[in-house]
Amino acid sequence: MSDLSHPTFYSITTEAIDLNELIERISLPTSGAACFFTGMVRGITTRDEARTTSFLEYEAYQPMAEQKMRQVADEIRLRWPSVQGIAIIQRIGRLDPGTPTVLIACSAAHRDTGVFEAARYGIDRLKEIVPVWKREVSPDGQEWIEGSYIPGHQD
Amino acid sequence: MEVKVLFFASMRDRAGLREAKLELPQSASVKDLKLKLVKQFPGLQEAMSSILVAVNREFAFDDLLIPDGAEIAVFPPVSGG
Repeated sequence: MSDLSHPTFYSITTEAIDLNELIERISLPTSGAACFFTGMVRGITTRDEARTTSFLEYEAYQPMAEQKMRQVADEIRLRWPSVQGIAIIQRIGRLDPGTPTVLIACSAAHRDTGVFEAARYGIDRLKEIVPVWKREVSPDGQEWIEGSYIPGHQD
Repeated sequence: MEVKVLFFASMRDRAGLREAKLELPQSASVKDLKLKLVKQFPGLQEAMSSILVAVNREFAFDDLLIPDGAEIAVFPPVSGG
């Protein structure tokens, strides 16, 4: 899946995301920093349209999603060559409030080498080009959440 | 030629199925495919402007010619994370 000096892990999974396992997987003997971004199911939304969420139901077009995660990792490496390990994980299925749904982690020798920006870039790109969708179920009913990004030839 | 079409998320609900085999003329484009899809699955009509198409697991645009035996996916803008 990746060479030893640049471990790259990406997957669509129905299993709980294990942060401790991932930090081990993306750490090298020369690593001294890792930035983890994780998103979780928000039970109560106050910004924009205030509402309560009972749970989210995620699905993926798995083979393409994993291919696009690989592409996001490649794009991160082009922009931040100092990044050592990368993990990109999307959990699918029914996920209740408080549950981590996604994880982007980047490791490097030091924290000032772009790991924060790299993880930020990773989650932003995942939300643009990785084919995953969620349906929101609330006390009032359910609806598909649709993104706004329309891919172009560069995607 | 025959192609396999997979539907995801709201487009699956609109089409009313997960998967279909579709007969297309040789060298049909993605645009031709979309026209055929809305004819066959009228529920897709009102979402036409937001349909995304992937051919062999890459985003595909209107002028792309679809290869024989392609795996096609039809879905709305993504909302993962």
